[in-house]
Amino acid sequence: MKTQLPAKYFQLLFLVLMVAINLSAQDNAADSVLNERLSAIEKDIHYNKPGQEHFLITGLATVGFSAQKINNTVDGFTTREKTNSLGDVDHFEFSPMLLWRHGQKLLMEFEPSFSDNGLGVNWADISYFAAPGLILRAGYLVLPFGTYSKRLAAGWIDKLATDPMGIADMTPTDYGIEMEGGLPLGKMKMNYDIALSNGSQLMNDGTISSGDITDNNTNKTLTARLGWLPFSNSTLELGISGMFGKLGDAGTPFANASGKMYAADLNYVNTFQPVLVNIKSQFNFQDITGEPYPDPRDPSQTYSFKNHTSSSFIQCALRPTGAGKLIRNFELAGRYTHFDTPANSLFGSRQSSVAAGLNYWLSWRSVVKLTYEAYKGKSTASKFLDAYTGLTKTSALYLQFAIQL
Amino acid sequence: MKKIKTLTNITAIAIVVVLLVSYFSIQGCAASKDIAMKSGAQLWAENCQRCHNTPSPSSYSPEQWETIGLHMQSRALITAAEREKIVSFLKNSQ
Repeated sequence: MKTQLPAKYFQLLFLVLMVAINLSAQDNAADSVLNERLSAIEKDIHYNKPGQEHFLITGLATVGFSAQKINNTVDGFTTREKTNSLGDVDHFEFSPMLLWRHGQKLLMEFEPSFSDNGLGVNWADISYFAAPGLILRAGYLVLPFGTYSKRLAAGWIDKLATDPMGIADMTPTDYGIEMEGGLPLGKMKMNYDIALSNGSQLMNDGTISSGDITDNNTNKTLTARLGWLPFSNSTLELGISGMFGKLGDAGTPFANASGKMYAADLNYVNTFQPVLVNIKSQFNFQDITGEPYPDPRDPSQTYSFKNHTSSSFIQCALRPTGAGKLIRNFELAGRYTHFDTPANSLFGSRQSSVAAGLNYWLSWRSVVKLTYEAYKGKSTASKFLDAYTGLTKTSALYLQFAIQL
Repeated sequence: MKKIKTLTNITAIAIVVVLLVSYFSIQGCAASKDIAMKSGAQLWAENCQRCHNTPSPSSYSPEQWETIGLHMQSRALITAAEREKIVSFLKNSQ
């Protein structure tokens, strides 16, 4: 037997449902308003932190694998060696970077680094943004010699797994003071970077070492770079640099030794749809006065050589940024490098390398790089001092992952 | 004697360069009207890729972009006006 429910029950049920829907809608609206308020407050708190202290940890990591085949020929005898290593021994790096901004005028930068050389410091300095085109800095600085070391050496920026030989080696990091800035010049721009530092130290074999907090003489080294961006879209930057200073330890036979270094750099980045063309180049030249160096076999005797070093590279990378999602993340890169060290010294050589690479960008700041590099080095070291090492040819393959965090 | 003369010349050139640069950097040089009208987005696209890929605005918080902006001004030597516009664009595109 079917029971007929009175109509008032349906009316009551309908009323209850309407009230429930209404309450639910009010809840949703209230939730939405509340969420918006919360989000705004969170943003506010995030942006307006109390006080003027703003601390940020960023940094980079580079890890990888390398396989090398090395052939060395001396006086007609050839030795062959094959190596491979995880950790890409020459280019492993884990470098957190600490940035501490105090208001809008002061910035402290500190980058410790763990690499194959152990634990070190890439830079540690404090900058004062004195005027729109004037930044004053003091501390442990990457000197403004060319642009590679200061701007392009990080694994996630470098287009190839290896550094160009000699370029970074010829850019010291040193204790000093610096002034720099970028300035508009009508449709063009210019920038300048001038540093005064303790300077490098000439070693007994004619090489130079840098980064001592105690100066080895009373002279300070002047390093300066001038950059010019002639086009209004900043696609081209040309730079010239110079470094001048005494190198010798005070009170030694090297007391008057001095060095002059010059560099020229070029940076061109432009899109020719659908390809982004990226060209980088730097030429370094170093001249140290002729000095009598102690003979390692008999320190009472001396020998001399023309202490002249040069290095250069030219690199081109192409990335089809206008292509589809998958293809546009690939990048092709190639580089030629030369590095000549002084003939008739203990370390003289004429070296060159050609590198080619295929990169895949996982994000704007993380990349997987596959690089092949062919190296040729002909020793020009002194045979008289038994330093001659013949002809070395190396083929190397690198698989590297680099990220900025 | 020749060495002393060379050193004096270098020092004199260095002093002149430092004084000129100080004058221009404090006084400021003018950007042309076209350049001054550029948006933060355009400056972000033009300047960041000179060294690395253009960063995503969501990579850092607005407050962190202020710090990154100062760091990049000192690394890439962009002008102060460019830094302000780029940072403003990145903060407002979160």
